[in-house]
Amino acid sequence: MVQAFIISLKKGSSANMEWQEPLFHNYARILQDKTFQTAMGNTFLYLIIEVPIMLILAILLAQILNNKDLKFRGLFRTMVFMPCAVSLVSYALIFKSLFATQGLINAALMNLGIISENINWLGTTFTARAVIIIGLIWRWTGYNMVFYLAGLQNIEYSVYEASKIDGANGWKTFWYITVPLLRPVIVMTAIMSINGTLQLFDESVNLTNGGPSNTTITMSHYIWNLSLGQGVAKFGYASALAFVVFILVGILAFINMKVGDKRD
Amino acid sequence: MKKKLLSMMLATALVTTSFVACGGSSDTAATTGGDTATADAATEAEEEEVVDLGGTSEDPNTLTVAAWDENFNIPALEAAATAYQKENPDFKLEIKTLSGSSDVEQAVTLAGSSNDYSQLPDIVLFQDHYIQNYVANYPDAWQDLEGADIDWSDFGAEKLSYSTIDGKHYGAPVDNGTCVFAYRIDILEQAGYTIDDVTGITWDRWLEIARDVKDKTGYALLSMDHSGDDLPYMMLQAEGQSQWKDGKPNLVGNETFKKIIEVIVQGANDGTILLANGWTEYTDNTIKGDQVAGVFNGNWIIPTIESNEAASGKWEITTIPTLSGKEGYASNGGSSLYITGNCEKVELAQAFLAYTFGGGEGAMETYDNALRNGGVITTCVSASKSDVYNEGVAFFNDQPIYTTVVEYGTHVPTIEQNDYHYTLRTSVGNLITNVQNGADIDAEIENAQSEVEFAMEE
Repeated sequence: MVQAFIISLKKGSSANMEWQEPLFHNYARILQDKTFQTAMGNTFLYLIIEVPIMLILAILLAQILNNKDLKFRGLFRTMVFMPCAVSLVSYALIFKSLFATQGLINAALMNLGIISENINWLGTTFTARAVIIIGLIWRWTGYNMVFYLAGLQNIEYSVYEASKIDGANGWKTFWYITVPLLRPVIVMTAIMSINGTLQLFDESVNLTNGGPSNTTITMSHYIWNLSLGQGVAKFGYASALAFVVFILVGILAFINMKVGDKRD
Repeated sequence: MKKKLLSMMLATALVTTSFVACGGSSDTAATTGGDTATADAATEAEEEEVVDLGGTSEDPNTLTVAAWDENFNIPALEAAATAYQKENPDFKLEIKTLSGSSDVEQAVTLAGSSNDYSQLPDIVLFQDHYIQNYVANYPDAWQDLEGADIDWSDFGAEKLSYSTIDGKHYGAPVDNGTCVFAYRIDILEQAGYTIDDVTGITWDRWLEIARDVKDKTGYALLSMDHSGDDLPYMMLQAEGQSQWKDGKPNLVGNETFKKIIEVIVQGANDGTILLANGWTEYTDNTIKGDQVAGVFNGNWIIPTIESNEAASGKWEITTIPTLSGKEGYASNGGSSLYITGNCEKVELAQAFLAYTFGGGEGAMETYDNALRNGGVITTCVSASKSDVYNEGVAFFNDQPIYTTVVEYGTHVPTIEQNDYHYTLRTSVGNLITNVQNGADIDAEIENAQSEVEFAMEE
């Protein structure tokens, strides 16, 4: 980390790095970097839309799959968790072929008569972003669900029984008992999801390659482009950007813990 | 107590994940990507270790070389080794086969960063578009070819312009990036055209013909990946112009460039130029999937065209349209062999390269076998006089395409190159997407120019 910080104050190729002048020039440069601003905007857009949907879905799925009377619970749990065991790159490539202009999704929609001509999913800003978000939700919901399941199993059944006796309905039980008791787990999953989303890389690279016109590029993808992606290495500047991402993750996690932590 | 434990765990989780966050930047430092043809695939190798290139050999008659592509460059190297053994029977060439060009780039970056070049072999194959940048960034990683007995005038000047740095020749050319414009003559015929009707025409006329072909047959006349990708570069080169001038991007106020963008956008809007999302869609869906009646790219695209066997005998190649209507020539991609800074047997390496790829006595044998076994086409004019080069190719309606390509290669204008080639390509691609979506072309050109200029600042 210290090394990365030192590099972030330098310029030139990795064989022959010199100090930047003025020393914090790389950081000053970030403020003028329009591509980085776009990348940051995109990343936060993914964050704001994807994380809440995913966590709510995960908690609801966990609730359903925690039902003692449900048959084949193990099977369903495994099925929901499965996407998480798939390699990031291969799932991105599968999504890419599904959503290709001549892909399965278009073919299915055409045959159902929902659309009249093929949609260029990955070539249009709005749909490309949607595909990335759908991909993320598919990949990570099961992962978060496992944490919630573990959390739910720590809640004594007697608590639920007590609330039932007090006349609470299903929704009330969920809202006033399950959610508060799950709070530590929720805080943890939120931090991890935020962190993961800020470092989003594979989806942007493999699904859309940042396109169309950089409207789906993420911060990590841009950093990678700067350091290695386009044959022109700017390790110094890339390190500076990586540091900014690191600080952002830290700040968001801190806020999250403050908000989530209701200890007296 | 429980809460304290939990908060400890959370703090640990935060710290570890943050370490991962910075670790990410140094991990990626060991990787690289971006072969024009394998950009998509290269990203898949993102988490792989840097490949060991094998270093050098202690035997005085053995050279080591690292190269990629078993179906292309490796047969060429084997052919050269066999040819040189006639001159020097003790000679041995140890070939390390790599999965892609990025392996070499990674290894050089790593060696340069750690200032330890001992892992590099005697000779490496390296991409033309990247070499200037790597020689500038890691000067100790290379040795020039000035002492070698090579007649440089025997090669296409444009090819050599990549590997010549500060007036010194560094690379021995292997393949040839000369562009071909291939057409499906049966589809042209259905629409009432011949190959001559699309040779030496203006882009405006080409757009007309393309619309006609599209109306009558349903085929598009050209495809390219992403937002045009190498198309603006190649079209501009055919005009004899570059996107660069005196080391700066030359987009604003460049009328030729603007017209070319207008042609691409017009074609895309007409549906006569298909812009695919990515390389695989370009090769597999548009070309192999039989959606286009024309292919325009470096001649290394020929094997892709040939993989659709049903179309055998129905293709022919010709030159590129231009804005003025003269026949255009361009080049895209390719690689050359370079002697590394770690090579101690420089004389042997130079003699080997000069005798084989460098147009010496073994050149004709080398290049004939390279073509037969790997489909590698040379830029060496004297070597292309052989019978193998002058045979008609059945897939291309018995046209002798190999000698034709070498002949085209001698006409390709040398244009200004820049380390930021791919940065500019990305910006121009974005420009095309935005103009296609209705943005103002002049404003977008200014945007692209300032974007590239910003990226070039230290």
